[in-house]
Amino acid sequence: MFAPKAGDGDLPIAPAIGGTVQGNSMAKPVVIVVGADKGGVGKTTVSRTLLDYFSANNVPTRAFDTESPRGTLMRFHPDITEIVDMTTTSDQMKIFDTLNAASPSVTVIDVRAGLLSPALASLRDIGFLDAAKSGQITFAVFHILGPSIASLDEIAETANFMVGAKYFLVKNFINDTQFFQWDQATYNSYFHRIKDATELTIPKLNEMAYEQVEVSSVPFLKFVANKGKEDEAANYSFVLRGYVRHWLANVWSEYDRIKLTDLVGGKSTTARGEK
Amino acid sequence: MSPTPVYIICSPRPQVGKTLIGRLLSEFLLLKNGGVVSFDINLKEPSLLDYLPDITETADVIDTYGKMQLMDRVIVNDGVAKVIDLGYHAFDEFFKMCDEIGLMKEALRRSVAPVILFVADSDRASVRGYGTLQSLIPPNALAVVDNEFVVRGELPPVMARSHVLRFAALPVFLKTYIDRLNFSFTGYLRQERDTSTELHQWIRRSYTTFRDLELKMMLQRS
Repeated sequence: MFAPKAGDGDLPIAPAIGGTVQGNSMAKPVVIVVGADKGGVGKTTVSRTLLDYFSANNVPTRAFDTESPRGTLMRFHPDITEIVDMTTTSDQMKIFDTLNAASPSVTVIDVRAGLLSPALASLRDIGFLDAAKSGQITFAVFHILGPSIASLDEIAETANFMVGAKYFLVKNFINDTQFFQWDQATYNSYFHRIKDATELTIPKLNEMAYEQVEVSSVPFLKFVANKGKEDEAANYSFVLRGYVRHWLANVWSEYDRIKLTDLVGGKSTTARGEK
Repeated sequence: MSPTPVYIICSPRPQVGKTLIGRLLSEFLLLKNGGVVSFDINLKEPSLLDYLPDITETADVIDTYGKMQLMDRVIVNDGVAKVIDLGYHAFDEFFKMCDEIGLMKEALRRSVAPVILFVADSDRASVRGYGTLQSLIPPNALAVVDNEFVVRGELPPVMARSHVLRFAALPVFLKTYIDRLNFSFTGYLRQERDTSTELHQWIRRSYTTFRDLELKMMLQRS
């Protein structure tokens, strides 16, 4: 009796196998670090949306969870995630010495709280940042920011490592914060100071929807599709799935805006519709 | 199995006759189908629950839990028509939620047919509220209720161009009569032998209006 409207709640539809989007085995390796020194700002949540985004766009991806020994990212994406301790040389080798050999060309590293600056320092010390600067590797940092001065103060420190890297300042709205936009002087002192940084906005997800996904321990995409861990039919609330679908679509539209699939060597899907 | 209709009776204004329309529609569907489930989302107005306690459940859309309790019941193709009497205080929050959770698309997928019945008034809040609905709801799922007792004149132009269901004004003494909590429209039709009374004809006309709406929706679906 009515036709569906094309709307903001749509998720980009992944093409069929053999479609337009494929990971390129000859492409240079891509490393995306998601992190912050401050805790509780939503690093793993953003990592999960990235893995879902790449999955929907058929970009082969592997992930490392540095929350050793128990990984939160691992709980949601066990098939592609490995837990590592980034402070050890052996695990650093596991990640970076396999960049060219690994078949997924995209590596997402969820860096646990307090470890972003040390991790970037390590990458500088092993020559990784120089490799990124010379174009051998595509390197991007998603710096997750919370609505506190302590979190925003990290920007200047992290920016020092960002020569040759794509630096994304991710404003993660974990509550109804304004990120100090009501105080332009404070806001500008943090967000307009780093010349080559790109801002991203992650909107707030309904609390109950977030908790339901937590309980379900499935990727956001599976939750929206009403599926359990093993792809079995689930019985999640239609309302909560709707909230997650709407939120994920908004997050992905931010990734589309920064042309994330171009960055990782894929092509973004253009068709809109629900997966 | 044909889609299960869900009628949402709404207005951003109090005292425009939402509950009256909800009562009429619920009793019509009960008479025609033998079953209906009505939801009362009124905290501040005369309540559908008071009139039809046997078929009415209360709900709220203040928090996420309340929204889940309501919508997870409503968005089910079980063949039982649903009527939601949406209080004016819940108008904005309810349709914001519908937009965010993609109600219309999910309804299509689940073979549920929402029909929004907007009870008109000529004030600015009503015109603005109707504009909001037009941006969210496909035109063939949206109808305007012209309750002559409230509008007393022409509808605002933006509403007059839509599908309009007209309900004539009753004399005040009859209005008082039907407002009694123990009054039943179908009960009156069954008991009153004189079919020429004004109230008898008014109820029959109202039921015919709903039947025509059902037919129109059915034709659109086919």
